[in-house]
Amino acid sequence: MIRFDDVSVTYRGGVQALRGLDLTIEDGEFVVIVGLSGAGKSTLLRALNGLVPATGGSITVDGAEVVGASAAELRALRSQIGMIFQTFNLVNRTSVLNNVLMGRLGTVPAWRSTLGLWPADDRERAMQALERVGIVEKAYVRASNLSGGQQQRVGIARALVQEPSVMLADEPVASLDPVTSRQVMGDLRRINRDLGITTIVNLHYLDLAREFGNRLVGLRDGELVFDGDIADVDDDTFMEIYGRAISDDDLVGTEDDLT
Amino acid sequence: MSDGGTARPVRPRPRLRTLGITAGLLAFTVFAANEVGFDASTSWEVWTNPLWEMFWPIPWDWVLDRSNVLDPLVETFQIAILATIIGCGLALPISFAMSRLTAPNRPTYLVSRSVMNVVRAVPDLFWAKLLVTAVGIGAFAGTWALSIFSLAVMVKLFSETIDNADPRPLEAARASGSRHLPAIRTGVLPTVLPEYVAYALYVFELNIRASIVLGLVGAGGVGRVLEAQRQFFRFDRVLGILLIVFVAVFVIEQVSVALRKRLV
Amino acid sequence: MTVTHTPSTDSRPPPPKGVRGRRALLALALLVGGAWSLTGLDITLARVLDAPADAWDIFKRLWPPAMDEALDRGVIGKVFESVYIAWVGTIIGAVLSLPLAFLAATNVAPRWIRIPVRQLFNAIRAVPELIVAVIFIPITGLGPWAGTLAIGLHSVGTLGKWATEAIEGVDTGPLEAVEATGGRWVSGMRWGVLPQIMPTVASFWLFRFEINVRASAVLGMIGAGGVGAELVSQLMFRNFPAVGAVLGITVLVVLTIDTVSAAMRRRIIAGAARTSGPDLDADRNAEALANLTGFRR
Repeated sequence: MIRFDDVSVTYRGGVQALRGLDLTIEDGEFVVIVGLSGAGKSTLLRALNGLVPATGGSITVDGAEVVGASAAELRALRSQIGMIFQTFNLVNRTSVLNNVLMGRLGTVPAWRSTLGLWPADDRERAMQALERVGIVEKAYVRASNLSGGQQQRVGIARALVQEPSVMLADEPVASLDPVTSRQVMGDLRRINRDLGITTIVNLHYLDLAREFGNRLVGLRDGELVFDGDIADVDDDTFMEIYGRAISDDDLVGTEDDLT
Repeated sequence: MSDGGTARPVRPRPRLRTLGITAGLLAFTVFAANEVGFDASTSWEVWTNPLWEMFWPIPWDWVLDRSNVLDPLVETFQIAILATIIGCGLALPISFAMSRLTAPNRPTYLVSRSVMNVVRAVPDLFWAKLLVTAVGIGAFAGTWALSIFSLAVMVKLFSETIDNADPRPLEAARASGSRHLPAIRTGVLPTVLPEYVAYALYVFELNIRASIVLGLVGAGGVGRVLEAQRQFFRFDRVLGILLIVFVAVFVIEQVSVALRKRLV
Repeated sequence: MTVTHTPSTDSRPPPPKGVRGRRALLALALLVGGAWSLTGLDITLARVLDAPADAWDIFKRLWPPAMDEALDRGVIGKVFESVYIAWVGTIIGAVLSLPLAFLAATNVAPRWIRIPVRQLFNAIRAVPELIVAVIFIPITGLGPWAGTLAIGLHSVGTLGKWATEAIEGVDTGPLEAVEATGGRWVSGMRWGVLPQIMPTVASFWLFRFEINVRASAVLGMIGAGGVGAELVSQLMFRNFPAVGAVLGITVLVVLTIDTVSAAMRRRIIAGAARTSGPDLDADRNAEALANLTGFRR
């Protein structure tokens, strides 16, 4: 279970990205977070795995406190939390398989991973993760030779290989076209359902949020302004969260819109 | 989407050529290390050798005596200034001649490129030693040698800049019927001038350092004093000279960097 | 009579003052500096006019080069010795500089270690190889090993600085990904940074090798191994055809190495850029290399 208790994050320049956030997420939930750019979505995810230190409040993941944790504690925590990124963050010059194996960096001893001597069962895990996202045939292909959608699936495989209890997705489809976006979102949903991994996804495409979300959390100016079932959400709710009317930029659309 | 039937790919074997090249380089390294007398133990011993004591204490009264170090240092400085002016000055037309974009005709391009390649292939101090033999020991030879060195460095840097410059202003100038030289003057020069100045300042910094070293072959400046003291085994004076020199170089470089920032 | 409307000249901007003044100042500085140097060095017009003739006289006597004599005396071997010195020296410099560069980069190393390491690089770079050799020779004795150490040590400074700049130019995305999986700092360097900088860094190593070949030839002049000693002794005996031979062979070897190395460097950078997807780090690397190519020492 993930719990945010009165969490605030103020960046060094004085910008307050999160204020007084209270949020509880049970195991196995699929949560979609929406809000304008700068509303605090990214900060929320990164505060959860400690990439951004929270300046106030408490965050617990399965009982372990994130705020103020030591470096070793954070590393142990992060190995249980998988993260995928808008820009994929793959190592372009190396193979897909090596990229996926990087997910095990939290558990494999540093000297082994530095020399590339990954243990056999980690290699097996990596192959299985690639099979689960359906691109195992690309295992030895250079990562930069894949399409955007394929690269993101490598990112998902990398997170899966950690055998995480939580999956964080920071705008995972913002760089992808509508068809691929739906494929990737579908993959995330399937993984959540089949493996029971708690999944938190940042989206700024409202139609995708409606199509794939279960529970919707709305952030505005660092504050939580909506938390509820996706079924209870209509256009007015979105307007409240966004503070303005919905525009075409907020919708990923369909492939017919790609003209 | 997972298709349980997709076969896992086989791990590709490393290419023979990559393996061959790596093995070759490794073998060459071992061979070369042997040839130069690679001895890891001496790298340790170097730091504990009792001969280091010969470098200490530094005789400050001798070092700070004007005629011993400071005057030659001024001479070094003057060599650097002149060499930069001459070398960079000549480099301007020559760079244009040897750049694909601005060369007036193919023969000029080829000849200037070849000549500069050969000039650059000769180690700088070889030039210095040759010139010292030709025109005699002293700062005169040093200035000549350093000018050639400056020319070589400047030409390399600057002609690459010209090659990468936006060709459109030049095209426009030519299209309006301008002759070659005026076309370059208006079409290319303004674009590349800031870089020219920045490079010239950089070359000046290099020259300050290089002119110290020039003196080691008798080409004037503080290097001559350095070499003389070295040959007399007065390493304490050597260290003193080096310290003064590095302070001076550091100061000059700070000024130069500051100037570079303001001019560009 | 019709009044033609001429545009009012009040709206014309005044010509900018700065540039003209700066240029004039620069020209003045050059003039003054040049004049002061000329007089200080006692360079008279007479000497300037005589010099080319004297130099030409000597240069004439370099041709034809005494090749057989050179071959007999093993000049080619000596030139190769310079190459070996440069090669091993560059490798020493490369191996030592890369780990240090990670400790010097602003985006990956904490302040307390970053500043000393950067200053170390600067201090080393400030000392020309020749001076390092001058200091080392009394300790290690004459011979190629002194030259190798001198080149190796000096290269740590330059290669370190270039590598640091390459590291500071990387895309931090993969680094963040490593952090997010719970990896340690070392893993971040190994997987998040190293793959991105390797092509550029390898290119720097090759470029440094080219420069070091010349440096090692020069080091021979003070007895640190290689062909420099040959040049000095032949000049001393005024055996100019032999000098010509030494120069000729040296130039040939240097040009060959330069050409091969340049080709290899191009292939490395091109290979790095060979992708079908958005590969920002290749552009970044190419940019960094473009800025640094030619910036030697």
